[in-house]
Amino acid sequence: MRRYLVRRLLLLVPVLLGVSIIIFMVLHLAPGDPAEIMLGSQATHADLARLRADLGLTEPLYVQYVRWLGLVVRGDLGRSIWMKRPVLAEVLGRFQATLVLTGAALLLSTVGGVALGVASATRPNSLLDRLSAVASLFGASMPVFWLGIVLMVVFALWLGWLPASGMFSPYGGGDLGDLLVHLVLPAVTLAAASVTIIARLTRSTMLETLGQDYIRTARAKGVVERAVVLRHGLKNALIPIVTVVGVQAGYLLGGAVLTETVFAWPGVGTLMVQGILARDFPLVQGCVLVVALSFVLINLAVDLLYAWLDPRIRYE
Amino acid sequence: MSKDGLRYTFKLRKGITFHDGTAIERQIDPDHPFSKLGKYPFANYNFGNVKAVEVVDPSTVEFVLKEPRASFLAVLTAGAASVVSPTAVKKFGADYALQPVGTGPFKYVSWDRGQRVVLEKNARYWRYPVKIDRVVYRPIVEDQARLTELLTGSLDVIVGVPPDFVGQLEANARVTLLKQVGAHVWYLGINNQKKPFDDKRVRQALNYAVNKDAIVRDVLKGTGSLSRGPVLPATWGAEPMLKPYPFDPERARKLLAEAGYPNGFSTSLWVPESGSGMQSPVAMSTVIQSNLKAVGVTVALQTMEWGAYLAKLRTKEQELFALSWMAGNEDPDMVMYPLLHSSQWTPTGPNRALYKNARFDEVLHQARLTTDQGKRAEFYREAQRILVDDPPWIFIDHEIQTAAHAKRVQGLKLHPSFDLRVETISLK
Repeated sequence: MRRYLVRRLLLLVPVLLGVSIIIFMVLHLAPGDPAEIMLGSQATHADLARLRADLGLTEPLYVQYVRWLGLVVRGDLGRSIWMKRPVLAEVLGRFQATLVLTGAALLLSTVGGVALGVASATRPNSLLDRLSAVASLFGASMPVFWLGIVLMVVFALWLGWLPASGMFSPYGGGDLGDLLVHLVLPAVTLAAASVTIIARLTRSTMLETLGQDYIRTARAKGVVERAVVLRHGLKNALIPIVTVVGVQAGYLLGGAVLTETVFAWPGVGTLMVQGILARDFPLVQGCVLVVALSFVLINLAVDLLYAWLDPRIRYE
Repeated sequence: MSKDGLRYTFKLRKGITFHDGTAIERQIDPDHPFSKLGKYPFANYNFGNVKAVEVVDPSTVEFVLKEPRASFLAVLTAGAASVVSPTAVKKFGADYALQPVGTGPFKYVSWDRGQRVVLEKNARYWRYPVKIDRVVYRPIVEDQARLTELLTGSLDVIVGVPPDFVGQLEANARVTLLKQVGAHVWYLGINNQKKPFDDKRVRQALNYAVNKDAIVRDVLKGTGSLSRGPVLPATWGAEPMLKPYPFDPERARKLLAEAGYPNGFSTSLWVPESGSGMQSPVAMSTVIQSNLKAVGVTVALQTMEWGAYLAKLRTKEQELFALSWMAGNEDPDMVMYPLLHSSQWTPTGPNRALYKNARFDEVLHQARLTTDQGKRAEFYREAQRILVDDPPWIFIDHEIQTAAHAKRVQGLKLHPSFDLRVETISLK
């Protein structure tokens, strides 16, 4: 088990190296550069050349990449061109906001999805099952930004129950309660698509599991229905569900960009978009690295969960 | 100002202190490296013409110019010319920009990236007592979120009201909508050096072919005013007799036939998806494309991301391109010289239409050398008449800037430079 873990962690190095090379190339191959964007349409040719030299953009690409890599190895992600601040502190600060948002969305979609899925599987073709099928179709086919705006108009503008955007109130606020009210709309928006996917998957695997012989045996032994469904049924149906929850966690991290933009949520997604538009190479590379790292770690956590859920799975 | 227009003397006002307590007098640095300013791009754009700065006595300073430049005082009003605290600059060094210290009505307090910038009132402001205690700026990109926050009372002022919301806000009793033309021009650039655009009849024809009224009314919902050239109609030095090119497709077809294109021609139009001052570039360009089609000019529209677009424009390969310009102030020189003087051709300067008209060049140069405003206005009026006869672009509109505020906000005025000036605000 320990050897397996070490091997997986060592595998992180080539994965992150590959990701960083690809993102570095893509960013530098795209037309336009930070000097062009910082100085805008009023800059002269000479000004641009000078600023490019100052930023070290005139050196060959591999020299720039190796210099950046040298910094990263020492735990420094460089300095943002656009914000003129160290990238690492900036990205980690924003990443916390993204984690709060995706964590809340993941919790909502997992709890909601599994509950809905189990409920519809135990009563197939009931009213609840049909309603959940319709809701799933609706949730899965709605674009995030549209749903976000609709929720905002209804709950913030018409009803006035919840704030429309931001993470904290502009004046005062800043405590947990303030954060939670600001979190409701973006978390629900972000979770909408995932909850339906998890619900549909839970329903189908639960239906399959509940048809197994050992479930019939359990019922024949006189185990109460609740325990049959939860202990014998759900636990055995969990493997595919955990897989899909893991995939959804990665999807939520990436999908948070749109939700963050709609709700002015100060997360890493909006930071990355601003960085790309400003061609802020160190900033974008820093953001991608952090997101890629968490994606890989989530995958590892899912793999480890399998072994815990199903004792037949062992890692050597 | 000296008679030859080369020397400007400034006396510093007594008794003013910076936010950090530094007194403004005796703070002029005699060794200030003005000569090295060329290193800094914006300094070059604004102060490239400054030869030296001389300290006469602790409260008197003189700027010596390389050649007379009547727009120099207007240049000094730009943000890049603000006076900053020398103590703070020495203390923070390269990080100074993150800890600004000035003499203005508000002091910098904090900046949470992506969330808010907080300013506090400067109780010692020298011009008048400031009426609000704190200003919080929040970036909210999504239009609907900004609008909702304003209508639910979480915000007092929003800027950049999207055209589609203008009608809704005008009808709403809870908020006030402000509109004012800004020092801005949106134009469809033409590469004047490429065939067939090197023939001025073709460029005139394109101007007749485009229905600017429809663009301003239907796409911009009234947030633009028709342009007759680069200079705002209300500016000093604007030629009052000019009229915007009327929408006249018949005349456009006739001019194209005279120029040897009775069946029109094909060309390409580059458009950025968004960008500073670009209004609604794609929707506006689509209308222009269909207008030109109607007179036989087939246009292939290519949209690009802003950064890529700016880089592409330096290649001189453009045929038609959508662009805009914010002068920052209303001196006619600041819009006509950089955009249309032949010394400013891209990639050296921002004349991306590669426009060259010998008489126009001469008139603009003369206007720079005189400091008599009446004579300068004469020159600029002639320059604008030249531009209508020999158009460098298709003239489209000047943006009407918009802002909306809650009823409790009093005294907010829009500034032609598009800066949001909050110092005149008071709350009811």
